Amino acid sequence: MIKSERDVDPIKRARERGSLEESLPLVSLQHVNLGYDSEPVVRDVSLAIYPSSLIGLAGPNGSGKTTLFRTILGLLSPLGGTLSRSCPLSNFGYVPQSAALDPQFPLSASEVVEMGAYGRVRSYQFLPLREKKRIGEVLDQVGIRHLMGKSFFACSGGQKQRILIARALMVNPKIMILDEPLSGVDEESRRSITGLLHKLTREKGLAVFFSSHDLEMVQRVADSIVRVDKGRIWLEERKARLQP
Amino acid sequence: MGLVCPLIGSFLVLRRTVFLGLTLPEIAAAGVSFTLWLQQTGVLPQLGQGERGIGMIGSLAFTFLGMGLLGYLEQRGKGLAEGRLAAAYALAGGLTILFMVFNPAGQIEVLNLLKGEVIALSQGELRLLVTVFGLVLLAMLIFRREFLLTSFDRDLAFLLKGRQVIWDVLLYLLAGLIIAFGVIMAGPLLIFGFLVLPALAARPLVNRMSSFLAVSAALGLVMAFFGFYTSVRVDLPLGPTDVTLGCCLIFLAYGFRRISTKTFAAVLLMACILAPIAGCSTGTPAVPVPEAKSIRSESIWLAKVKNSTGLPLLLPSNNPLRSLGEMAGKISSDYRQSVMDLLRESLRQELEQKGYSIRLPEETDKRFPPLPADGKSAARVASEGKLSGLIFVSEIWRWEGESQKFVRVLVDFKIIRIDDGAVVWQRRVQRAVPTPSAPYLGQAYMDAVKIVAHDLFA
Repeated sequence: MIKSERDVDPIKRARERGSLEESLPLVSLQHVNLGYDSEPVVRDVSLAIYPSSLIGLAGPNGSGKTTLFRTILGLLSPLGGTLSRSCPLSNFGYVPQSAALDPQFPLSASEVVEMGAYGRVRSYQFLPLREKKRIGEVLDQVGIRHLMGKSFFACSGGQKQRILIARALMVNPKIMILDEPLSGVDEESRRSITGLLHKLTREKGLAVFFSSHDLEMVQRVADSIVRVDKGRIWLEERKARLQP
Repeated sequence: MGLVCPLIGSFLVLRRTVFLGLTLPEIAAAGVSFTLWLQQTGVLPQLGQGERGIGMIGSLAFTFLGMGLLGYLEQRGKGLAEGRLAAAYALAGGLTILFMVFNPAGQIEVLNLLKGEVIALSQGELRLLVTVFGLVLLAMLIFRREFLLTSFDRDLAFLLKGRQVIWDVLLYLLAGLIIAFGVIMAGPLLIFGFLVLPALAARPLVNRMSSFLAVSAALGLVMAFFGFYTSVRVDLPLGPTDVTLGCCLIFLAYGFRRISTKTFAAVLLMACILAPIAGCSTGTPAVPVPEAKSIRSESIWLAKVKNSTGLPLLLPSNNPLRSLGEMAGKISSDYRQSVMDLLRESLRQELEQKGYSIRLPEETDKRFPPLPADGKSAARVASEGKLSGLIFVSEIWRWEGESQKFVRVLVDFKIIRIDDGAVVWQRRVQRAVPTPSAPYLGQAYMDAVKIVAHDLFA
């Protein structure tokens, strides 16, 4: 669940919920300025992400959605303010835009998913059997086990997104951050992916934070909506969620 | 080299930094040229390791300095990366030539080092090469996952493994090591070929990273084996032969891409089976010079050896025996022994051991010229000189000392019946003759003559 600036108070929330572990925010930003080379793109961001929340980040292209994600993931340093995380970066499942990955690499779907386990496997080790089993399980979870041996870049846009989600799940994440997971995918894949995101928040208790330039679609899918535009970020009133 | 270079090269290709694989060997070559120039001018001492030892230091220093400079410019992010590499390549190529011009005395040595004749490597150098490349192979196997992750998805690499700069540095360090050592041992062309061509050939054939690395390494081995085999059989320089073969592999790979995997696997299997068989069965065994009795002739004319190389093939004058001979009055001061003289003398000794009675055409007429290896022409000239019976002719087409370590030779030998010009026996010797213990080029020529003559009669 996302909170506006005035009520980001983890201790207070913990008391209210009665369970400290459940209610501590996984990520908390207070008055953070985001940008590159001391040039702010988005100013004064204050938000907190809690477990089991499905948050959509909506905004036009170039508004700073990816900048916010990269800052949360530690890939960019905040230009000001306070950013805190209650879990290590290795617990973050990141799903980049598939178009950002180089198609020059000869990778099968299973090899892409396997990368999610690299944080747990030592350099000199062979991939343990349990990790190999887990690759099949996460591919099952996203419904594309049959694509295991297929070339990643020969898959459709929707299949690629699901493979990248499987890779993020392979990390055993507490929070998943998905950059435009629904762009460039067909309607069926879109339904399947949104269903999967709901399942992950409801059943697995993961926090899911995804972005899209399509506000209508975000409103249809997310429990909470964060809008970003023209260097400002704000929490939009929660609306009755439509069925995906 | 054929196994390890393609593994590094695969990552250079996937990272789209192929030009780095071209530029770094050229920078290493400039380092070799530079240090040999410094040594010649006396700035650097003689280390007692030969030219290759001092060249290796220059190769290593320039490679890592070049990598550091390119890395620094990359960090600053000014200008095009390809532009920087192209400029560095041009500069390194120019400097290599300039340092060679500054060092006319060592020009041939520098050229020989940069040509990179693998068969001229000593055992110690080979051991060093195996050790360095073995360590690089080990590192590539251990850190393959980190290199893949850093190359494919830097963001995920950061989340799972922290700062990825260490893996970039390690990968380029390994690349620098094999380039620096490889250039001095095998030359820049061969190293670039091994780095890039097998990976480019493997890319259209596979869809998995593990297969890509395995097929790249396998194609590198194929390239090394068949390139070396062709180079020795047909007497071609190794670097250009291997690179040409590597380019053929790329065309073949794109051709095979059109056929099914099963057909491709079958063709590959057939090739793997047939290649060693063909390799083993090539060439009928060389026939030695027949015994005098077997051709019913005990007397043979031994013609002067014809030199068709266009070079004088005189022995270099650093033969101490020559000055002793001159002092003793046995050799006139204007006479200098040639390869042709040495070869003829060796042939005479070997023929006598085969039971021939040797006669020399100049005994009948001192103006008797060397005879060509062409049967009809040799028979005609011999008939005009009033010779009869059999004549042994030799013609040198090539006699090149690459260094004192080996000599490339191409010589035709024939026994011709003078009456009808029929060739009774013939043999072409075309090979690189190793002369590892020769301390200087003249001795290498002498050793090579003995080896060629001995092989001919063995």
